[in-house]
Amino acid sequence: MPEKIKILYVDDESNNLIGFKASFRLDYTVYIASTAEEAHDILDKHSDIRIIFCDQRMPHKTGVEFFEEVRQKNALPIRILITGYTDIEAVIDAINRGNIFRYVKKPWVDADIISAIEEANKFYTASSLLAVKNSELQIAYNELDKFAYSVSHDIRGPLSGILGAIRVVKHLDSIEDMKEMLYLMENSVKKLDTFILSVHDYYNLQRGELKIVEIDLEKVVKDLKDIYNIYSNANEITFTTFVKQSEVFRCDETSLKLILNNLLSNAFKYQRKGNTHKEVELIAEVDKSIAYFSIKDNGIGIAQNHLGEIFNLFYRATTTEAGSGFGLYNVKDALLKLNGEIKVESVVDEGATFKVSIPSK
Amino acid sequence: MSKYNFIVIDDSELDCYIAEKMIRYSGLSEDVKCFTGANEALQYVKDKDVAENDLQTVVILDVLMPIMSGFDYMDEFDKLPPEVKRKYQVIALTSSMNRNDIERIRSYDSVFDILDKPLSAESIAVLLSKL
Repeated sequence: MPEKIKILYVDDESNNLIGFKASFRLDYTVYIASTAEEAHDILDKHSDIRIIFCDQRMPHKTGVEFFEEVRQKNALPIRILITGYTDIEAVIDAINRGNIFRYVKKPWVDADIISAIEEANKFYTASSLLAVKNSELQIAYNELDKFAYSVSHDIRGPLSGILGAIRVVKHLDSIEDMKEMLYLMENSVKKLDTFILSVHDYYNLQRGELKIVEIDLEKVVKDLKDIYNIYSNANEITFTTFVKQSEVFRCDETSLKLILNNLLSNAFKYQRKGNTHKEVELIAEVDKSIAYFSIKDNGIGIAQNHLGEIFNLFYRATTTEAGSGFGLYNVKDALLKLNGEIKVESVVDEGATFKVSIPSK
Repeated sequence: MSKYNFIVIDDSELDCYIAEKMIRYSGLSEDVKCFTGANEALQYVKDKDVAENDLQTVVILDVLMPIMSGFDYMDEFDKLPPEVKRKYQVIALTSSMNRNDIERIRSYDSVFDILDKPLSAESIAVLLSKL
C-alpha cells in the first residue's frame, strides 16, 4: 500500500480542526495547526506535506497572506483556501496571483475536500516529477557543455595534427622521413579512435541498463589475458593473474569488463621506459558476496597531488602517453552504478595499485 | 628580414614536430626548441641568461595541455622580470573553438597573437612580418 498523503489543515477554530481530522485521518495523514506560526513549524518539520488547507479568516493573518509566506519558503505543497462566499474577492485575487490551487467553500462537505485532495495530489505529483526531470536535464546540459568543450579539443586536436603532418610530408623528399611522419600520423589516428571508443563507452554507461548475470571470473580473466598477452609479449611486460572464486558473483558483465579493461590498459600503458622488469598483476577474488580486484603495475606511478583528481572527466596527469581523460571517469561511473568502490595507492616511479570492490547483486 | 629563435610548447609530440618543420621551412628561424611539457619550457626560460643582443624568441604555446596548461604557463611567465619578458613574443596556438579559452588567453599582455592549429609555413611568415 502506498504511503498516505500528508495534509496540513490550518484554522483558528478548534472545532473545525477536530472535525477535519476525524473525517480524514483514516485515509490521509492529517496535521492540524490553529495559528500560522504553528503551521510554519509543522511545515519545517515535515517537508513532505503535499497539501495545505487554510481558513481565510483567522485573527492575525488571512489565509491568503499565510499562503504567500508558505509559497516563498517552499512552492511545492499545493495550497487550498477554505472560505465563505463573502470573501470571494480575496479568493479571486489569490488565484490570480498564483498563491492557491483552488478553494473550498465553507461550510465544507467531505466530498468537496476529498475531490480537492485527489486533484491536488495529481497536480503535486506532476509538478514534482517535472522538478526531478528539470534537475536531471540540468545535469545533462552541464555534461553536454563539458562534452562539447572537450570534443573541440580532443577530436580536432588529433585531426589538425594529421592535417599538419600531411602538409609537412609535401615538403619532404626522403622516404625515411615520410615513413616517420606516417608513424606519427598513425598515433594521432589511434588517439582519435581511442577517444571515440571511450565516448561510446561513456554513452553506454549513461544510458545503458544493467544486465545482471552470474560471472565466471576465471573466464573473464582468461579473456583479458588473451587480449593483453599480445601487448605484454611485444613490450616485454610480465603479466600475472590470480583468480579465486568459490562462490557465485552476480554483476553486469559489460560494466565489469569496462572497469578491468580500463585499469589494465592504463597499467600496461603507463610503464617506465628502460625498466627491465616491467610487471602488471591482476588479482580477482570473491569473498562473502563481494568481489575484490587488484590491478598493480610498477610503472611511472601517479604523484600525490594528482591522486584526488584522476577520476574526473578529461583530467590528465601526464603528457607522456595517449590518454583521453575519459578512462578512469568511465571506471568510476560504472562503479557507481554497481555500488562498487575504488582506491588507488601510488608512488612516483614505483608504480600504482588500483583496488576495486564490487558487491554481488 | 631578421631571424628569430623559437620555442614550441605542445603536449602532442606530432604537433611539436609539425611546428618545428614549418618553422624551419619558413627560413626565418635560427634555433628551434620543442617541449612537450610547459613546466620544462618554463624552467628553460628561467635558467637561460639574457643578453642585450640576443635574438627575439617566439614562443609557440599550445593552450590546452595536461598538468601545466597554456594559462598556467602565462601566469608563471608574467612573474618573470621585464628584461626577460621583453625577449619573448608568445603566440598561442589552439585547436579549441571555445570562445572563453580564446578570450582568456588573449587577455594576457604578453600574448602577441593567436593561431589556429595546424601551423603552416605561411601563417608563420605572416605572423613574423607583424612582429
